[in-house]
Amino acid sequence: MKDEQAREDIRIIKAMLDRTRSATSESGTLFIAWGVLITLALIATYVLALLKTYRWEWMVWVGITVIGWVYSAIYGYRKDRRTEVKTYIQTAARHLYIGFGACGLLVGIILPRLDAYSHEAIVILIAVITGLLFFVMGGLFEWPLFKWCGLVWWVGAVGLTLVKGQNRILLYTLLFIAAYLVPAIILQAKYKQEKSAP
Amino acid sequence: MTDEAFEPLDPLIHSPLRLAVLSVLVSVQQADFNFLKKATDATDGNLSTHLAKLEEAGYIRMKKSFRDKKPLTTCSLTDKGRAAFGRYVKALESYLPGRTK
Repeated sequence: MKDEQAREDIRIIKAMLDRTRSATSESGTLFIAWGVLITLALIATYVLALLKTYRWEWMVWVGITVIGWVYSAIYGYRKDRRTEVKTYIQTAARHLYIGFGACGLLVGIILPRLDAYSHEAIVILIAVITGLLFFVMGGLFEWPLFKWCGLVWWVGAVGLTLVKGQNRILLYTLLFIAAYLVPAIILQAKYKQEKSAP
Repeated sequence: MTDEAFEPLDPLIHSPLRLAVLSVLVSVQQADFNFLKKATDATDGNLSTHLAKLEEAGYIRMKKSFRDKKPLTTCSLTDKGRAAFGRYVKALESYLPGRTK
């Protein structure tokens, strides 16, 4: 075997890995859907805080969670029916999303309702677990932007302790738009660009 | 360079299509027949023949099922196949200049 043949074999291996990688890249649709839902819930929470009608806050979040989970389940089911390939990263990411959802439900709704801690602490704790979500996602899919967003969320969690009341919700909303919604939109734009490339 | 410097290549993998199939499967958990066909630009018959050879060697696992009442063949790499692919890539390196043992 000549070295040209070895090079040809290596070219085949590389081409197959590239094709598989391209075919299994993430669109970020689910991420954006959750981002929009949470942004709406944050705006509603801020408005309710301004109106001092705090007792409705938890209903907004329960509603958003139920809508998000139903949408995620339908999206996942449809995607599974279409998919021709399954990767270990996708399986790991799916478990990460489910774990994040369960943590969000516990930290954001159940534990505060059980008086485990003050409602004021919710956004700080959510920022911590969102940082974990982004940092791990960034590592799994090799998206440096998401890893940086993870760090921003953790710094943001500390920053949130410095403001109180409605301002904390406002700061969290800004943090959410900057370190969740914007990166998710960038990810989807990149995905579309890759898919449309010849 | 002498012949002794080259590591032997696994004849079961040393075919462009079988190498391509294993290269896809090494990076995924499982892939459908259609995905493998598109990725490797192979024909149904050709791909089926090569998949059968790889399955016979114990390098891949094939599962036949149905999706929307249509037959579905799903392939995945076995531990034996993963190890053989690793050895093949290592052996390939010995054929490249400046990368001999």
